[in-house]
Amino acid sequence: MANVHDNTLERTAAKSKKGKWNQILKEKWLYLMVLPGLAYFLIFKYFPMWGIVIAFQDYSPFLGVFGSEWVGFEHFQYFFSNPDFLRLLRNTFILALYDLVFFFPAPIILALMLNEIRISIYKRALQTMVYVPHFMSWVIIASISYVFLTTGGGVVNDLIAKLIGQEINFLSSPEWFRPMIIGQIIWKETGWGTVIFLAALASVDQEQYEAAIVDGAGRFRRLWHVTLPALRSTIVILLILRLGNFLDTGFQQIYLMSNSLNRSVADVFDTYVYFVGITEGAFSYSTAVGLFKSVVGIVLIVGADRIAKKLGQGGLF
Amino acid sequence: MKTKFLRNLLMALFVFGVLILAGCSNNSETTGNDDQGESGEEGSEERMNIRVFAPTFTTEPPTDDSPVLKAIEDYTNKDITMEWAPNSNIEDKFNITLSSGDLPHIMVVPNKSPSFISAVEDGAFWELGPYLKDYPNLSQANEIILNNSSINGDIYGIYRSRNLGRTGVIIRKDWLENLGLEEPKTIDEFYNMLKAFKEQDPDGDGQDDTYGLVVSKYEGPWDVMQTWFGVPNRWGEDENGELYPFFMDDNYVESLNFFKKLYDEGLVNEDFAVMDPAQWSEPVISGEAGVQVNVLDEGHRIQDKIVEANPENTEPITVIKAVEGDHGLLNLPTSGYNGMLAISKTSVKSEEELKQVLDFIDKLGDEEAQILAGNGIEGRQYDIVDGELVNHAQDDPALLAEMDGLNQLLTFIPESKVLTPAGDPLRELEEKLMKENEEIVVANPAESYISEVYSKKGQQLDNIILDARVKYIVGQIDEAGLEEAIELWKQNGGTDYIAEINQLHQEAQK
Repeated sequence: MANVHDNTLERTAAKSKKGKWNQILKEKWLYLMVLPGLAYFLIFKYFPMWGIVIAFQDYSPFLGVFGSEWVGFEHFQYFFSNPDFLRLLRNTFILALYDLVFFFPAPIILALMLNEIRISIYKRALQTMVYVPHFMSWVIIASISYVFLTTGGGVVNDLIAKLIGQEINFLSSPEWFRPMIIGQIIWKETGWGTVIFLAALASVDQEQYEAAIVDGAGRFRRLWHVTLPALRSTIVILLILRLGNFLDTGFQQIYLMSNSLNRSVADVFDTYVYFVGITEGAFSYSTAVGLFKSVVGIVLIVGADRIAKKLGQGGLF
Repeated sequence: MKTKFLRNLLMALFVFGVLILAGCSNNSETTGNDDQGESGEEGSEERMNIRVFAPTFTTEPPTDDSPVLKAIEDYTNKDITMEWAPNSNIEDKFNITLSSGDLPHIMVVPNKSPSFISAVEDGAFWELGPYLKDYPNLSQANEIILNNSSINGDIYGIYRSRNLGRTGVIIRKDWLENLGLEEPKTIDEFYNMLKAFKEQDPDGDGQDDTYGLVVSKYEGPWDVMQTWFGVPNRWGEDENGELYPFFMDDNYVESLNFFKKLYDEGLVNEDFAVMDPAQWSEPVISGEAGVQVNVLDEGHRIQDKIVEANPENTEPITVIKAVEGDHGLLNLPTSGYNGMLAISKTSVKSEEELKQVLDFIDKLGDEEAQILAGNGIEGRQYDIVDGELVNHAQDDPALLAEMDGLNQLLTFIPESKVLTPAGDPLRELEEKLMKENEEIVVANPAESYISEVYSKKGQQLDNIILDARVKYIVGQIDEAGLEEAIELWKQNGGTDYIAEINQLHQEAQK
């Protein structure tokens, strides 16, 4: 890249500079190369956003976006005054909070543990194995959970019945729904989540460890004073990114695990959008709900970024 | 030299990227054109191309070059393109197809869902009522079922006829015989049978590994059983002629208490609220459960599987209509149809074309077409030996795949002419009970009314009531909780819903 740059500079050095336009012309190849990427984002990311307008319409597929009636904020008003709203908000927030508190640290801990393994073959084999659950679909995990946790024949419940004398209704009790969901996420995604942290750990200067050893630091001291500070910026960035998706609770998983007995805690924005939008065909209304979710996401991500900068960490923007 | 090489490399990468992008957009354009070209050309030539959206119950539905489909094409003189959607999520697929705006000529509409009704209101489908009289088969359609399937009296789809009295109770006959029990006649006897199936080791293996009734996540069995107790079919009518929803009936709580008793005593599978409906018949087949409340024709499907696994057990299943409660022998009907064939205005543009499509649907009612779609081709999928049907397709997956699911196109108007194997006592019993059921089924007085409130919030309203019923059965809530759920239902739009249905009812009475 640098070579190309120099080359063009040399060739145009003789000509006089006439503002920005000339500079762009000078590096026309670079700008040309940006075009495909730009086109990708315009066509596949920005252009479809135009569809958001149906949130402010009474959209009907046969009348089209141009033929449908405009209703302004009616769908939003209906949504916020709906008794479902508070329940959905609470369920979504609690699940998201659990996810942040219990799942987010899990890959960090696992990565630190993997990092302490000294036998390289064993470490690599172990890494590969912890990635495997990530590639299973939620349908399979839901089936596995059913086989393990169901009452009257479930493997786990048989064991529990032998130990404490009674079965626990994991699948259909509202109290167990959230722990079960978080447990599934931890099982599925922890291994995969270590990838970024392990990459960050690989770039830690080994001399720092050596210096710490000379200073007489034990394993935990080294972990605390060398490894964790090295990971800090990675953790912060991932945390900010995670907050952007704070309200994304994952439709598939929740949909598969919910039933009439735990619906009181299992209804979240994602499943609500599906039930209202797809099964009842209220496209405008469900778009409005989805849009609300995205706005919350943007507020959270920008807010977290500002806070991170205030606290002296590098932010995203 | 090195810089030149790098520049060339980057140029090459760039060109490559542009090509990929161009390739993508080209692809989508050409496929779009192909579709249009095909239908346009074929339509102007002799055979009209008809695209059909239909549900499939198998993972390998017949392809466009299936010989059976070709035979149907020849018979109806149309070129058919099937667009299959898995039955398990047919409603989602239907709504997504609706929202795409590109509707096939004929769509099997699963039910009068809110999205179908709003599509009708926006003019997506043809009103068929005035045309039906011109066709030999369709003109014989049943008025009552037409009314049931109509949208406030207008017909936007040709119903697919089903037996009104399809529901019943499937019982392990061998277990009854092992325990020396009779088929139950009353609710009490039904309960005693379930209890015996649980406690008296009906399979005689000396182990406590059986239970009575198997229910899945699908709520149908509760609906059927509460009807036995005199709970109305969705809407009841009081002495003043006012309609009220079924769960406000006096008998509702009594029926729920019965279900609760079944659950508390372990006569129903404990995990019914989470059980996959696709696995519903498994416990009966494998000998864990003895009873299932389902459509009667599931009886012979279960029997076939038990016999397949254990040929000595020749007649393991029997079926009954219902059991008698304080209000007599009652049963829940189906609406007399299962989905309907609607004709879209986006693909069928002119009345000319509409008549061709209707002619196609009408011809499918002919005996020859029904047998093709239901049994296959004679000499290939089946033979007639000594006047009796011999099926070859059942044992040959390849032959079965050529026809399996094409019967989804049939309306069975005026009646089913598909060949059925003779000499199977269970099948004959099922047929007989379905006929007898028609005497005892409880009609839904609000069947044809389309409520605006319901089309907007129906799913949420139904969930409130159905979830409360399951919670009550497993003991998560008590009678006060049930009352609360009904209050919540009323507040969420239920009160308006009742008022609207009653208004429609009064208008219809005039």
